[in-house]
Amino acid sequence: MKHAFKPLLVALTLLAVGCSQSASDSKTDSADGKKLVIGASMLSMQHEFVVNVHDEMTKKAEETGIELITVDAERSAIKQVEQIESFIAQNVDAIILNPAEVEACSPAVSKALAANIPIINVNSETGVKPTAFVGSDDVEAGRIAMQYLADKLGGKGNVVMLEGYMGQAGQLKRAQGAMEVLKKYPNMKMLANQTAEWDRAKGMALMENWIQAYGNQINAVFAHNDEMGLGAVKALVDAGLKDKIMVVSIDAIPDALQAMQKGTLDATVFQNAQQQGAKAVETAIKAAKKQPFDKETLIPFQLVTKENMAQFVKK
Amino acid sequence: MNNVIDTPTKPVGQTTYQTQIRKLGQYGILVAFILICLGLSVISPKFLTVQNLMIIVMQVSINALLAFGVTFVIITGGIDLSIGSIVAVAGVVAASFAHPDTYPVIVPLALALATGVAFGALNGFVITRSKVPPFIVTLGTMTILRGLALILSKGRPISNLSDTFSFLGGGKILGVPNLIIVLVIAFIVCTIVLRKTVSGRYMYAVGGNEQAARASGIRVGKVKMQVYILSGGLAALAGVLLTSRISTGQPNAGAGFELDAIAAAIIGGTSTSGGTGTMTGTLIGALLIGVISNGLDLLNVSSYYQQVVMGVIIIGAVILDSINQKTN
Amino acid sequence: MILSVTNLSKSFAGVKALNNVQLTVQTGEVHALMGENGAGKSTFMKILIGLLQPDAGEIIFDGKPLHHSNVNEMLERGISMIHQELLTVPELTVAQNIFLGREPRRWGIIDERKLNEQATQLLTQLGVDLRPDVCMKYLSVAERQLVDIAKALSNKARVIIMDEPTSALSDKEVATLFTIIRDLQRQGVAIIYISHKMEEIFTLADTITVLRDGQFIATRPASEFTAQSLIAMMVGRELGDLFPPSHAQLGPEVLRVEGLTQPGKFSDITFSVRAGEVLGLAGLMGAGRTEVARAIFGLDPYARGTVYFNGQPVTVRSPQEAIALGMGFVGEDRKGSGFVPGMSVKHNLTLASLEQFARRGLVAEGAETAAATQLVKDLNIKTAGLNQHVVYLSGGNQQKVVIGKVLQSAPSLIILDEPTRGIDVGAKAEIYKLINDLTAKGIAILLISSELPELLGLSNRIVVLAKGKQTAVLLGEEATQETIMHHAMQTESPLSQL
Repeated sequence: MKHAFKPLLVALTLLAVGCSQSASDSKTDSADGKKLVIGASMLSMQHEFVVNVHDEMTKKAEETGIELITVDAERSAIKQVEQIESFIAQNVDAIILNPAEVEACSPAVSKALAANIPIINVNSETGVKPTAFVGSDDVEAGRIAMQYLADKLGGKGNVVMLEGYMGQAGQLKRAQGAMEVLKKYPNMKMLANQTAEWDRAKGMALMENWIQAYGNQINAVFAHNDEMGLGAVKALVDAGLKDKIMVVSIDAIPDALQAMQKGTLDATVFQNAQQQGAKAVETAIKAAKKQPFDKETLIPFQLVTKENMAQFVKK
Repeated sequence: MNNVIDTPTKPVGQTTYQTQIRKLGQYGILVAFILICLGLSVISPKFLTVQNLMIIVMQVSINALLAFGVTFVIITGGIDLSIGSIVAVAGVVAASFAHPDTYPVIVPLALALATGVAFGALNGFVITRSKVPPFIVTLGTMTILRGLALILSKGRPISNLSDTFSFLGGGKILGVPNLIIVLVIAFIVCTIVLRKTVSGRYMYAVGGNEQAARASGIRVGKVKMQVYILSGGLAALAGVLLTSRISTGQPNAGAGFELDAIAAAIIGGTSTSGGTGTMTGTLIGALLIGVISNGLDLLNVSSYYQQVVMGVIIIGAVILDSINQKTN
Repeated sequence: MILSVTNLSKSFAGVKALNNVQLTVQTGEVHALMGENGAGKSTFMKILIGLLQPDAGEIIFDGKPLHHSNVNEMLERGISMIHQELLTVPELTVAQNIFLGREPRRWGIIDERKLNEQATQLLTQLGVDLRPDVCMKYLSVAERQLVDIAKALSNKARVIIMDEPTSALSDKEVATLFTIIRDLQRQGVAIIYISHKMEEIFTLADTITVLRDGQFIATRPASEFTAQSLIAMMVGRELGDLFPPSHAQLGPEVLRVEGLTQPGKFSDITFSVRAGEVLGLAGLMGAGRTEVARAIFGLDPYARGTVYFNGQPVTVRSPQEAIALGMGFVGEDRKGSGFVPGMSVKHNLTLASLEQFARRGLVAEGAETAAATQLVKDLNIKTAGLNQHVVYLSGGNQQKVVIGKVLQSAPSLIILDEPTRGIDVGAKAEIYKLINDLTAKGIAILLISSELPELLGLSNRIVVLAKGKQTAVLLGEEATQETIMHHAMQTESPLSQL
């Protein structure tokens, strides 16, 4: 079930939380020898993948002895822009931005650039090009997932797609990649696509409704993340259709790997949270110290299937 | 249910017109609900099947449980925004004790319900003791409890839950999904509490005229405590069922649920100014939201339009309600 | 002559609130408008300031007739009112309040400096030592009142109406106000002064007009009145057959209060009520009658004193405890605290006694319906049915529902606070008969009323309060409208020295 009152909720949350950043005692100016301060604004700390990226960032920060101030944007672009403004006011040495939206977060990037503070986008992009980008190409993820389905279906069949939060880079690009692949196969058809807002319960409800609408016509399901994919799996298992319908999703979270072990989820696409987090901090340090750095670090996605899943389970 | 008697002195034309409007108001939601169902079954042959209707009721059940709880609160003139977060906390608590081969299934269930009741009591306590409006108090507990859910779960979903626990919200008894059984029982119990008990009567009195209730010797504070406890408890039950249904305890579960629940209650004729409302109305309100959502999914209407349609229907329903009040 | 009103009439829902009222106010005079509660003073003043439109009659102000005017027009023409509950905006400053709606502007922006200058000028003219840029909420009631007067002056008011202006002022503040009124008079401003306080009237007024029951009674120079003759003119009405003779037997004492005191509200109240007796509680508005009743019923606390109920000293902390003891309370604010408008007649009738019908928390509907049916019959409540919402009943029937609710909890004492306020005469008579029926059954009644005929017609004895103090207990022959008013207006204020 979709939320009837999403905008109101966002407004209420904004009201309730106000400015939720942790005021840290950063006395550092970026002079040599002093501790570097990096501010990080994360899309949502309720999102497992983001938490994983952030864990690695914290680890890296401890290793390199820098101070990392993290704030949670709670999926709000407006909040994120305010948080970046606040970082600029604190005169941090570099900013890591895990953007909530493509366009709405662009002002945050522009402001940091204007203030001569290096800003590194991690995981997803913004309309305005930042100092550097660390992440993976989400279009690639969509491509890998859909290609897997096309191969398994022999280039013929009907697909439904559970999309992420509308308007976010992850949703837009994963959808784009999937559609690119679909175009190459005239016998493959997208029966329906609809957002389930990255959420497992919503993914499950949406899949239940689709089973009613299309039933046996569906051959495969592509979910933009594992949470929704697992919701779809649950709905399919309950309806006794899992044997006939394939499900592939993205992220390779532990739950997804477990489901693959059980044989209910067919495949997922691994996005390397650890490397993204580590690289983001490394790039931010280099940029702050004015050392040479890569403008774009793309960490490749990997298809995870039953055959190769063993190597991912340990992580 | 209650007989609207018009004095015979009024001109006949006016009387019938007014009666019609009133009836429309009283049953407006039911009429709208039936019309929408009929419309959907014409447009989509998949809509009116036992299977699909069962799925709608299942999908509605979580929201309906929350809506029942918040209906009690709204009838007393209050509001509870914290129920969505209670869903998350209760779900996380339940999931933490529901791994296979650890505790019997009663343990996570009881602990989660106790959590919900405790936080409901906390809401009630703060609201009755301080003069802070319920909107603010529960807005506060909403964020506090969301934070608590994240702390307890360390921001990650808690999975690997036992089969018996998953059976609670995912299983069937004699072919009927447990969710539907729980919904029906909760509906009957809530209706009895509201319509047949002394406590229920007092809820209407407190919401209808708090001063008069106080002067009639009713312990207004106690009544308020009761409704927030009911609301918290039902939210926790919803949290357990949701967690069981998706087999994970998610710290971000239930975000925004409070608004759907409040919407269901208001669509069902519960007035935000207190004193009126029925569980039947709330159930229809929840079903209406569920049917629209399901129908639009069946028709593969883009989620953007879904939101527009939902908003239009909610406003329409409330307008109907206010017309009803005006004619009265 | 600045203001002349002839044959003014106004009805509400068929009830005449004003009937052919006359008033002539001279420039620079203080004209007192006298009458009991409900005599029509408020309606009259609301018409004068344009809040209400008259049904008939003529108002001539400054030589020109006024027709269908609104508040703004009246203000511009020069009629202002200082309301009893002051209408100022607490978050704005003194100056901003004075010029609210008429702010001096420069290029569309409020000229704060000019605003403050003009305000200072006005305040100085009034002889008031107040800074114009202070936030209104920090001022005392008296200071706020002075700001209100300054506001009236800023409107170039020629007539200022003051409705009970001293009700919340200390004696010193009253003296200041009177000095200002004298100054205004000298500047040619006419004051229409409404007050229940006799000594104020005789200190200030040049002329007195008396209204009674919406009728014009007389206008005479103040010097031609004595307090006695004024009161007689205000209340002089005959008691009809509204009050059937009571045959109640007086039984043992049910309620006794001794030395009941709550600082700032009432002090040292002592009286008792016996079974089958009606004890009247008289006094002007704000004398503390309701406050005493609320304290007895546990709705408000009291600091000192003892309440005895059926001979036992009791401490009543809440209405629940009062009801459990056997008290019933019918409040003056019927809509506010009497009934639940959206609930049915049946549910309202059983609201205070629901536990009687409860079996393990569930309401036994059969017993409840039977009890409600009986009450509707006994009290002759006119309703379309037990499920009718109380909000649709007439005022008199609503009041009967409230009394029925109290009766259902089987009290031995019922406190009735203004039981007939806003009720038409027919329903009043029924309520009076009901009170007789109750005393005949041995129930003790504590009756609070601002309608003296009602008190005199029903009560065995009358306790009079003035400014929170008990000034008299009147028995039988002693109790007349004049003696009650005399004791109700009794104060030992230093105003007589003015």
